[in-house]
Amino acid sequence: MTATQERKVEAAPAESRTINLITAVTEALHEEMERDSRVVLFGQDVGARGGVFMATAGLQATFGKERVFDTPLSEAAIVGAAVGMAVRGLRPVAEIQFADYMGPGFDQIISQAAKLRYRSGGQYTAPMVIRTPSGGGVKGGHHHSQSPESYYTHTPGLKVVMPSTPYDAKGLLKAAIRGEDPVIFFEPKRLYRASKGEVPGHDYTVKIGEAAIRREGTDLSLIGYGGVMPDLERAADALGAEGVSVEVIDLRSLVPWDKELVLSSVQKTGRAVLVSEAPRISNFMGEVAYSIQAEAFDSLLAPVGQVAGFDIPYPYVQDKIYLPGPNRITAACVQALNY
Amino acid sequence: MTTSPLVEPLPVTGIQPFTKEPIRYIGEDGLPVRPLPTAYTPERLRELHSVMLRAREFDRKLITLLRQGRTTFYAQSSGMEATQVGLAHSVRPGHDWVWPYYRDHTLALALGVPMFELISQVLGSNSDPSRGRQMPHHFAARKQNFVSISSSIANQVPPATGTAMAQKYLGTDEITICTFGDGATSEGDWHAGMNMAGAMAAPCLFVCENNQWAISTNLRGQTASENIHIKAKAYGMPGFYVDGNDLVAVMEVCTHAAEWVRAGNGPALVECLTYRVGSHSNADADAEKHYRTREEVQEWLGRDPVVRVEKLLEHLGHPIGSEERANMISAVHREVDEQVIRAEATGQPDWRIMFEDVYADMPGHLREEAAMLRAEQEGGSK
Ligand SMILES: Cc1ncc(C[n+]2csc(CCOP(=O)(O)OP(=O)(O)O)c2C)c(N)n1
Repeated sequence: MTATQERKVEAAPAESRTINLITAVTEALHEEMERDSRVVLFGQDVGARGGVFMATAGLQATFGKERVFDTPLSEAAIVGAAVGMAVRGLRPVAEIQFADYMGPGFDQIISQAAKLRYRSGGQYTAPMVIRTPSGGGVKGGHHHSQSPESYYTHTPGLKVVMPSTPYDAKGLLKAAIRGEDPVIFFEPKRLYRASKGEVPGHDYTVKIGEAAIRREGTDLSLIGYGGVMPDLERAADALGAEGVSVEVIDLRSLVPWDKELVLSSVQKTGRAVLVSEAPRISNFMGEVAYSIQAEAFDSLLAPVGQVAGFDIPYPYVQDKIYLPGPNRITAACVQALNY
Repeated sequence: MTTSPLVEPLPVTGIQPFTKEPIRYIGEDGLPVRPLPTAYTPERLRELHSVMLRAREFDRKLITLLRQGRTTFYAQSSGMEATQVGLAHSVRPGHDWVWPYYRDHTLALALGVPMFELISQVLGSNSDPSRGRQMPHHFAARKQNFVSISSSIANQVPPATGTAMAQKYLGTDEITICTFGDGATSEGDWHAGMNMAGAMAAPCLFVCENNQWAISTNLRGQTASENIHIKAKAYGMPGFYVDGNDLVAVMEVCTHAAEWVRAGNGPALVECLTYRVGSHSNADADAEKHYRTREEVQEWLGRDPVVRVEKLLEHLGHPIGSEERANMISAVHREVDEQVIRAEATGQPDWRIMFEDVYADMPGHLREEAAMLRAEQEGGSK
């Protein structure tokens, strides 16, 4: 943890490979640690164990216990320590075992990490990343299924990111680690192994704040992020079979979010359906809906549709029914199309 | 089936806080290392042994259930039977209040929570008193004042203090029991709750089930403190250190501490030094591969709390015969099988109940959401 010099990695042979989302996370961490000795990684069980999902598997063996280490069971201490390390010049990447367990570290996130730059007039900053598995669909009951992103999007000073593909996970995580701000990096746990895709062999980043068009369409803009993305694709397939041309957009980052791309898509299609699995009240998508009606009102052919989780604690037995699956998404699209 | 309180609390004397070594009554060979309290007759010990064995076999059967994919989560307490059964001994079920943590089903069984309820909760069946809301193994039992379990580590400590403060305010003779693992003692909630309890002289008995591992982090990785119980000093309460694999010692120390709390002296902390023999949960069935040695596990298997009581009974001239033991085990297995079938037969909770219990009265927005889901479900889409 002494040398603070950045080191350029030799560009790997530019051969792309198909990997899953969690492998993409591991690769991003590995490559960033190799590139920059200021990057340190810690949290509960991340060392010998490799994390409960094995996202950090092998990293302690490669980089040693000084750079990859287990901490006591205290999210407040983990997040708070990350802030302090960042202030002193490291690039901490902290893992919180489940997004549901960010609670004990909440005050450190919103009072320290988020506000340090602002309140010190830029004299101090906390460039750090908090990685955490989030979302439902794994029958984990409410303590292993929640989607708390809106608590964090509501806090100025934080960047909030949630990839849904291996390519994005790797590129966005690298961008987060190289960035100058605290980033809350949500990893949709149900896609860890389910989401597979190509990543290039060479080093790359994905800019935080840019959405991705997953497929182009002309009749309706279907917008989501994280764990629901495969369901958006399924809904688009179903509608496509009926001759409806759906544009599918993955926001990828929530703060900042790609308003421009969303607006231009809605201006083209005239309809928008917004999907996320978090409860509806104060859902981040409410912000997107507001912007669409405020800035693309003239283009709208139907009210903006929203599909969200129900406003109840995430239930155990009804895990699957809670989530907005392809049917609920399709129904919202049909409603917008028939308006 | 144990549905009645285990025992009356015993009067105890001579138990000191802040000892260097864990307090012990039965050695690893099953021989008493100091005189046994006379109340522990062989009959009584046999009774408690059967509760321990029942919990042990319950664990074994539930792991099988998990492997069969009939449930999704289970956290064993094998190896910790003396700690939980011993603690139960100092609790007056349905009178005292318990804020437990997720590894406490042995405590629940010992306090008389029916196995049927526990299994129903693990299966999330219609017979689950918690209505299938929580992940498996996170039960609540109103009759035993066993409060609903959160899996957020140390989350129960401040509310336990609050329950104890209410008991003091209401002038009841109840106390509150709050359990947690060693890892929990690193969380802010733990310190906040302990400190408040000390400052308010709340009648709360805190019990650390120190099984020495918090998933893959051992006690040394958790704290530089010599042990857990000495932390009590900072919060102005006595801390007791006990061999958690010694049933008699746990009963004696917990009873002593509980009496002290009941007498209005404020809170106390008991640290039971024990060992989690199995994996943390189904998510780390590979514990030995990743973070602990086979030798360590073997060593602790040699300190098996159930076997220790069996050796003691043998020493006292009241051995449990091998046939008797085998019969006890198959009786538990049969009981579990029967209760699983019975619970599964009640079916799964309907989706309609998802919207209940969020608030006392269902607000309009939840009625709308429920109606939307009804239309979706009854419209035939899945
Ligand atoms: C706030 C919080 N952070 C992380 C977790 C994940 N987690 C579940 S159990 C556990 C270890 C707990 O260890 P300990 O308190 O010693 O109890 P044990 O399971 O060993 O009995 C962790 C880290 C959690 N449940 N809650």
